[in-house]
Amino acid sequence: MDFFRQTLVIARKDLRAELRTKEAINAALAFSLVILVLFSFAFDPFEKETIEMSGGLLWIVFAFAGTLVLNRSFAREIPNDCLDALIAAPISGSALFLGKALANFVLVISVELVSLPVFGIFYNVHWTTRIWSLLLVLALGTWGFTVIGTIFSALTVNIRLRELMAPLLVYPMLIPVLMSAMKLTMDLIAGKPLGGENEVWLRLMVAFDVIFTSLSLVLLETVLVG
Amino acid sequence: MREKLIYGLGIVAAVLLARNLYSIFMQLPDEASQGMIYRIIFFHVPAAITAMLCASVTLITSVAYLLTKNLRYDAISVAVTEVGLAFLAANLVTGSIWGRIIWGIWWTWDARLTSALVCWLLYAGYLMLRRAIEEPTARARISAVFNIFAFVDVPIVIFSIKWWRTQHPQPVFWGGGKIDPDMYLTAVLNLVALILLAVVLSLIRLRQEEVQREIDSLRRYAHAV
Amino acid sequence: MDTRNFTFMFYGFLAAWLILVIYVLSLVSRERKISEQLKGLKGLLDDRDGK
Repeated sequence: MDFFRQTLVIARKDLRAELRTKEAINAALAFSLVILVLFSFAFDPFEKETIEMSGGLLWIVFAFAGTLVLNRSFAREIPNDCLDALIAAPISGSALFLGKALANFVLVISVELVSLPVFGIFYNVHWTTRIWSLLLVLALGTWGFTVIGTIFSALTVNIRLRELMAPLLVYPMLIPVLMSAMKLTMDLIAGKPLGGENEVWLRLMVAFDVIFTSLSLVLLETVLVG
Repeated sequence: MREKLIYGLGIVAAVLLARNLYSIFMQLPDEASQGMIYRIIFFHVPAAITAMLCASVTLITSVAYLLTKNLRYDAISVAVTEVGLAFLAANLVTGSIWGRIIWGIWWTWDARLTSALVCWLLYAGYLMLRRAIEEPTARARISAVFNIFAFVDVPIVIFSIKWWRTQHPQPVFWGGGKIDPDMYLTAVLNLVALILLAVVLSLIRLRQEEVQREIDSLRRYAHAV
Repeated sequence: MDTRNFTFMFYGFLAAWLILVIYVLSLVSRERKISEQLKGLKGLLDDRDGK
């Protein structure tokens, strides 16, 4: 029980800190809307092909906007030695990781849920056809890239050129979960159900989430402390 | 002692490679449907296997470093990763050239090729990450953790052929297909040759890494005195 | 058809070997660089000790 209490304390602290200034979430939201607009110039929204691949575009938007939130995750603890305070605090590394990941997840998914209707409008896409499956894919995919973003934020917190290295390392790592999310979203938007041909992507996404969450829970303390 | 090992293994590898090249070009017949381009497989597949073996070795040494904090394991990790990266690059390029002939395209985004490219990007990222950290213990620790994460892609690369329908052909050497025993022998011998080559290159790189560390410590000493 | 394949196959083998050769050359150049550094440093330290 202690573990969950510690996790919630960290999660609430991060959410409170972010919601007071709303820096990252505003930036992410604005970025997401801007890219959605830009993409609609690059691809004609009324072409059949664009509608078919719009699910893929959506996840590119989510990945880029989400990275803005995730990169700050541990970087924001650097001023005023907050990172040292966190390391010295009597909580386990796993609780620290899970708390931050949960807070990031809430932030990123709120950006996504706001972008989704905008996406539907700009691209003329009926995303409500299989809404529950879509929300499931959204949750699983977002959790996957939140976990990677959070642990890599910790990994790169003390290195040179952090702003450059973190995305460079994160995006290749994200390709399996992003590909699965894109394929599933494209199918769901087209009205096809989950299962059958899709199942391998769904399984990949779940496996990705489970494996990387476990690895991160175990390794965060090693990353920060040694 | 290690010098002799390096030279010895190097000579064995060179002899094997010479024998294999002779076999590949002079003795083996053309394949039924592909013509002579199929001969690339004798390098393409062994290079892939060698690269995956290198990745597995670095996983073990990375975990070993995290458990023992012995920087020796860190040196082995970087040496073997570099060599594995070179073999994986050779694998990607030979595959692409083969694909140009057989399929008419240089590249396609099927599961096998995509995951192999991602694997290359991840291990290249590992080397870049190491450049960005100067302090040796922090560098060893951070890159060891990254290496563990990067290895998760390797099973995806290996099993992508089984899990998805891919453009990449199904396994030929251990799938179900019948293969000419001469071809099989040459392929296995080439695999041995490439593995020996990888070991030789890793040992050379490892020695360079150790010399580099000695230089760094001498430099620190020189500045302190 | 066969001649074109032959050219491509040749390029294929060449590419695979070229990549490995480039790597070996990079190892060799690194070797030379660090030998020079080592010599320089050892000379520097010997001078200091000699003083």
